[in-house]
Amino acid sequence: MKKSFAIVLSLLFAFSLLAAGCGSSSTPAASSGSAASGEAPDIKAVKDRGTLKVGVKVDVPKFGFKDPNTGKVDGMEIDLARAIAKKVLGDENKIEVQPVTAKTRGPLLDNGEVDFVIATFTITDERKQSYNFSDPYFEDGVALMVKKDSGITDLAGLNGKKIGVAQSATSKQSIIDEMKKDNLKIDFLEFGTYPEIKAALDSGRIDCFSVDGAILAGYLDDSTVILPARYAPQLYGIASKKGNEGLTKAANDTIAEMKASGEMDKLLAKWGLK
Amino acid sequence: MSALFQPSVLGFLGQGLLTTIYIAAASIILSLVFGTIFGILRFKGRFYGNLAAIYIEAVRNTPLLLFILAFRFMTPLPPLQAGIAAMSVFTTAVIAEIVRGGLKSIPNGQWEAAAAQGFSAFQILRYIVLPQALHNVLPPLMSQCTSLIKDTSFVWAVGIEDLTGKGMIIMGRYGTTEQVFTLFAMIAAVYFIINYTLSCCARRLHAQMSNN
Amino acid sequence: MPGPFALFKWEAVLRDWQVFAEGFGMTILVAILALALALVLGILFGMMGTAHSKPLRLLNRIYVEFIQNTPLVIQIFFLYNGLPYAGIMMPVFWVGMLGIGVYHGAYVAEVVRAGILSIPKGQFEAAYAQGFSYWPAMRFVILPQAKRLAYPPLTNLAVNLIKNTSVMAMVAGGDLMYHADSWASSNLYYGPAYIITGLLYLALCFPLATYAKYLERRLEVSS
Repeated sequence: MKKSFAIVLSLLFAFSLLAAGCGSSSTPAASSGSAASGEAPDIKAVKDRGTLKVGVKVDVPKFGFKDPNTGKVDGMEIDLARAIAKKVLGDENKIEVQPVTAKTRGPLLDNGEVDFVIATFTITDERKQSYNFSDPYFEDGVALMVKKDSGITDLAGLNGKKIGVAQSATSKQSIIDEMKKDNLKIDFLEFGTYPEIKAALDSGRIDCFSVDGAILAGYLDDSTVILPARYAPQLYGIASKKGNEGLTKAANDTIAEMKASGEMDKLLAKWGLK
Repeated sequence: MSALFQPSVLGFLGQGLLTTIYIAAASIILSLVFGTIFGILRFKGRFYGNLAAIYIEAVRNTPLLLFILAFRFMTPLPPLQAGIAAMSVFTTAVIAEIVRGGLKSIPNGQWEAAAAQGFSAFQILRYIVLPQALHNVLPPLMSQCTSLIKDTSFVWAVGIEDLTGKGMIIMGRYGTTEQVFTLFAMIAAVYFIINYTLSCCARRLHAQMSNN
Repeated sequence: MPGPFALFKWEAVLRDWQVFAEGFGMTILVAILALALALVLGILFGMMGTAHSKPLRLLNRIYVEFIQNTPLVIQIFFLYNGLPYAGIMMPVFWVGMLGIGVYHGAYVAEVVRAGILSIPKGQFEAAYAQGFSYWPAMRFVILPQAKRLAYPPLTNLAVNLIKNTSVMAMVAGGDLMYHADSWASSNLYYGPAYIITGLLYLALCFPLATYAKYLERRLEVSS
């Protein structure tokens, strides 16, 4: 607590002097290339620190979900994080989870607050320019949730209506691509958090809540239904900061090993995700 | 509707309330400290006064939400601390102006008399002028406190689960008309009780001070 | 690794200037209409606050205390997500105008009330002696004098109102903050987006704030 307090104090003075220069939060020098001598600096940093910091979702049942009764965050992605921690640090419990949203997961990687983001993060070519992604560990699609009594059964039913999406998630683009094919006209409203989109659906502000099917499942209730259609297959990957090649390799190795040994299947079955 | 009053729901909302209070308290303390400093600077300094003026005017004329967004996505601070930092930076500027107003209200005679007694500028400020100035502006300072407590609700825009945030999350789970309205009423009531109590105390204080 | 303020990000802002312009226009529109509503409500309730009839004064107290002690965010969320359950589905533009107008109306009411109370009682009595009844007395004698006192705080209030229009960003309201944040979220060019947004708000608020200071000084000189 005291450390953050000091950071806040100094930032109060520093913020007004934030120059328009090309100040970049650069990773410690000498990473890519010098693979020969010992281990990568980013891995070393994690080992020195003693914990692996991972950004995960806390509102997506089965992937990353905070149980309101116990306060514990659990899910398939947290288990993945534990597997990586076991590989890098030797102890699967040495992880520190940080809640993230679609909007915050990128910035938190950039400023080094987390080593990995394992948070239903879809791999796209555009995102690959900004982050390192591991091989995919899960495939999902963008889904649509509507009110049961709306009578909407497919995307065409949403012509002239409104879809709510989260800011900076990939759902919007996938639906737009689909819309163009069928010549539909649909409005998009962006919100900062999933509960707000659900609230907007409940109150009728939007006609459809669209996000990855896995996330959507967490908001299903008696009055809503998820349409069967899935758009734009979404491959989830573990993201790490560009330049942290050591961490990316560790993530990839972990996933490869788990797939080869059948661990991955067991993990997916454990959470009912097959 | 009775489903809303079970311990798990109330506890959930209670956590939000604690977060709100924590953010508000931390921001108030930081803003009072730095606001006083900047207020004094703008009142008395030449070069530093101008710097302070630029900071104060720039911050006072931009929305709080912008600071909350900027601190969350552009600084390495964890979410809660980013919210506190944003609110502090914003409120510091407001308090700086309040303090400056208080300092201006002290008659010149005080400064001159104290200087004649041999006090240094710093001593005059510390022992004579500042206490009076702060005393004079206690009402606007307290009204700024209630404003701050209300403005903490903006941190929900970046996912910080304060009272407003927890309320919206719960609303997703309890979505009948009756429950939604009850939830709004509950949350509004909590904010109201806290702020109304504070402003009543402020008014009583103000009345007492005026009588003296 | 490009910095947060890299040149290509600024170029993107310039290229997409229409996004910001649209938001800016919406902000101005909502601000003007909400201010108008706030003034109307504020003058009405402010006068009620100095009325002889107790029920009217009570109405004033209820309105002011409730609105001033609950967050604007909650009020807006209620209008946006709560009212639809009662069958009232206002377009988000009206939600903004109504919510922001009613909220600031409470503050205007307090300013108006203070302004009226500051007029010496003698003025009322003189007006009555002249044969004015209550409303004409208000209209021709009291309010014009109260206005002068009220202008500085009202101008500051207008600045706060403009800043508070940013709350619409939290309900997908299409104002400047919403568009700026939406644009920045999709391409992650936060730095330039937020700076431009800040400058735009400054452009609106700073002149008003300076005018308020000028009014304050004039008031000090004349009183």
